[in-house]
Amino acid sequence: MKPTQPPAAKGGRRWRALPTAGFMALSFAGLCLAGQGAVIPAKAVLAQVLLERAFAKSRSTGAPVKAWPWADAVPVARISVPRLGVSEIILSGGSGEALAFGPTLVPGSAPLGQNGTAVVAAHRDTHFSFMQHLQPGDVVVVETTDGDRASFRVQGGYVVRNDQFAIASRAVAPTLVLSTCWPFDATTQGPWRYVAIAHAQSSR
Amino acid sequence: MIPPLAARRRPGSFPRLHRRRAALIARLSVFVLSVMMFSFASLAHARQLAPGDEITSGSLLLRARDGATPSAVQLGTDMDVTVTGLTARVKVVQAFRNTSRDWVEATYLYPLPEDGAVDSLKMVVGQRVIIGEINRRAAAREIYEQAKAEGRAAGLVEQQRPNMFTNRVANIGPGETVLIEIEYQAPVRRISGEYGFRLPLVVGPRYAPSDASAADVAATRAPVLNPRRHADINPVSITVRLNPGFAPTGIVSPYHAIQIVEGAGSTRTITLKDGSTPSNRDFELRWRSAETAPGVELFRERVRADDYLMALISPPESNRRRTPPVRELVFVIDNSGSMSGDSMLQAKESLKLALRSLSPTDRFNVIRFDDTMTELFDKPVLATREQIALALRYADQLEASGGTEMLPALRAALVDDTPHDTGRVRQVIFLTDGSISNEDQMLAALGSNRGRSRVFMVGIGSAPNSFLMNRMAEVGRGTYTHIGDTREVITRMSALLDRLTRPVLTDLRVVTQGGDAEFAPADLPDLYEGEPLILLARASNLRGSITVSGMLDGRPWSRRINLNQAVEGVGVAKLWARRRITDAEVGHRLDQVSAEEAAQTIAQLGLDFSIVTRETSLVAVDRTPSRPQGARLTEEELPLNLPAGWDFVRIFGAPAPDSAQSTEAATDDPSIPFDLPQTATAWALSVWAGLGLALIGGLGLMVMRRRRARS
Repeated sequence: MKPTQPPAAKGGRRWRALPTAGFMALSFAGLCLAGQGAVIPAKAVLAQVLLERAFAKSRSTGAPVKAWPWADAVPVARISVPRLGVSEIILSGGSGEALAFGPTLVPGSAPLGQNGTAVVAAHRDTHFSFMQHLQPGDVVVVETTDGDRASFRVQGGYVVRNDQFAIASRAVAPTLVLSTCWPFDATTQGPWRYVAIAHAQSSR
Repeated sequence: MIPPLAARRRPGSFPRLHRRRAALIARLSVFVLSVMMFSFASLAHARQLAPGDEITSGSLLLRARDGATPSAVQLGTDMDVTVTGLTARVKVVQAFRNTSRDWVEATYLYPLPEDGAVDSLKMVVGQRVIIGEINRRAAAREIYEQAKAEGRAAGLVEQQRPNMFTNRVANIGPGETVLIEIEYQAPVRRISGEYGFRLPLVVGPRYAPSDASAADVAATRAPVLNPRRHADINPVSITVRLNPGFAPTGIVSPYHAIQIVEGAGSTRTITLKDGSTPSNRDFELRWRSAETAPGVELFRERVRADDYLMALISPPESNRRRTPPVRELVFVIDNSGSMSGDSMLQAKESLKLALRSLSPTDRFNVIRFDDTMTELFDKPVLATREQIALALRYADQLEASGGTEMLPALRAALVDDTPHDTGRVRQVIFLTDGSISNEDQMLAALGSNRGRSRVFMVGIGSAPNSFLMNRMAEVGRGTYTHIGDTREVITRMSALLDRLTRPVLTDLRVVTQGGDAEFAPADLPDLYEGEPLILLARASNLRGSITVSGMLDGRPWSRRINLNQAVEGVGVAKLWARRRITDAEVGHRLDQVSAEEAAQTIAQLGLDFSIVTRETSLVAVDRTPSRPQGARLTEEELPLNLPAGWDFVRIFGAPAPDSAQSTEAATDDPSIPFDLPQTATAWALSVWAGLGLALIGGLGLMVMRRRRARS
């Protein structure tokens, strides 16, 4: 049988090992959390690459194409803001899932480029972070998978509560509404939304 | 009064009926189960979307802006189509499920192909199957009303328009499901070597002109759900058993995702990929033959003492280059409220494509109409570049709103300044969804004013009024083209524009050798490239041959067809009867026969062939009363979906010329509440917090190590 260690020494070592393990666990947890956070923008960027590919294919074939086999949303259009160098693929359906990969056309809004109001939403800290730099007069171009191209001019930006927003029911021309959360640098989720309203420019 | 239905059953047929009934009930119960699940889901969804709306049974609501509320009776439809050769047999089962605690009478307005012949009605109540009988319309109505009053389950199928029917089901018990099964025969279409048929799934709300009678308007109208407020209702499942007699290739359904299973030989079974679809747009199936289509296809059927023949005769391909005729074209574009959304876009694109195709020697004009009308030019002008540019700009600025007064536009389009100019072909092209209910007036006006003009109909949208389109094209000796999707504009319009420059066969006549035959249609149309002539005939003893003759590129042409080649075709007799009925209806509209004469002909054909017509209805009545005396019967009109691509607010919210709803809508807030989704991931927060924690941990470790080194 092995000789047992003196109790004093054991206690001392334990006393010394405890904070070390604690600090190690703390830094590990911290790195995990940071990693988890960092995955979100990485996923957002990577998804856009895949979506761009699916969009191009969808445009040439005319049929909806999923960017990856288990995707629940398909690319419906490309939105770009030439002044800010932004170009992103919009997904159908507004599930939280789809929002992680790109801006989505919110269900209930009009199809893009057609008469009525199309509402496109995306996260304020990924795809739509450019909205804080959007100015009245900026041109937003929307290209649909049908090959249609429409350009919109931003009329202005507004801060609204999520439940106090309404769209015109008798829109006679295509209107585009971009929506994201506000304020842009907030750390928590809240009821405030920032919307930019853009009207179609006559293309011809 | 007819004897009780059960008494009419032949005793010998009972076991067979019984077996079939068991199979029917088994099949239907599976279907009902799925319908129930679907309807529960959609009901739950509807409630979630519109928490304020209570579902009240019996009170029919047509709210101006919100549309109708989902009714207590839930409806599911199953369609089973069997295509044999060039005929399609369609079995439609509608399950009416009463979710309320009251006894209910349900009314459902639904569309059928306008050349379909409805000849069978079965009603399943609990374990009983009741077979419907054909009767004169008024008599059928009386039988039904009496059964309804006596508390017996009853079903009635009535024709409101040749492509619009209503089913009434009386005395559906609380929580009960009544199944109505109707069957119809329809021809398969063939254009440019492509075969196809169309199952209309929804009746688009129609515009009634200001002088329409109230009863007629009520019959052709049903409450419509606002798609923004409610989930789609009335799910439909579709199965197509395709047996065209040749190996079909390129089977496509342009508007629905389908699944194709290959069966023995050339048979294919086609189902919807998603199992069922809300009935908000028409289903279409097209296929091709791997072999080249023969010039003549013949089918015959012997019913009672008569022979029936169906012949498809393809015009010869004109392979030499002909100089296209010099033309005068009038484009008529519908910019009424029902066209708003996708339809207007499609119509504009179609018009612009057509304008660009004009050659400088052509003359043209553009007429637009809603409840008003404008002609772009006083009279047709030469298609110079400037004039076309002007017309293109005009087309671009068109916006859909207002009612649909098509008659003045038709009259204007038919005004011909040079009726005797044989050097110029006059063509009128209509771009519309045909959402009107005064079809009779339209056809009468066209029939009496058509002159030398040929009228081409371009049906726009997901559910155009194809009866009007086909009859106008027929009376106007033109063609009907349907565009259901923006992506189809270029292909379909190009095909039409191509055809417009080449009429192939004109002045068609048919003569029999060996016996008399009654042909339908009585007036043979002009034929354009790729379009076959469909000829139906009845004779007491059909043999020998028939000769079809006409003018091909300005020269006489004829073709002799030996009737011995004919193969058995199921349902040819019904199709002949349906076609004769159409001829009688059109004949009356064109004032060729009197109203009484037409009604008599139609009623007789309906009774002889057991077909639902405007003069005859199918009625089924349960023998045993089910509703206890004294229990109240509530009446429900089942709401319809708005056809896909239609804009609810434009149709019901915008000032419409016909009712009080519009004034109410006008004072309403013109905006719709819209919930904006949560759009923040707060990834930066977790990155910073994580890094912060890691930093604290790291610093702690450093401090510990230093302490250890010191001790």
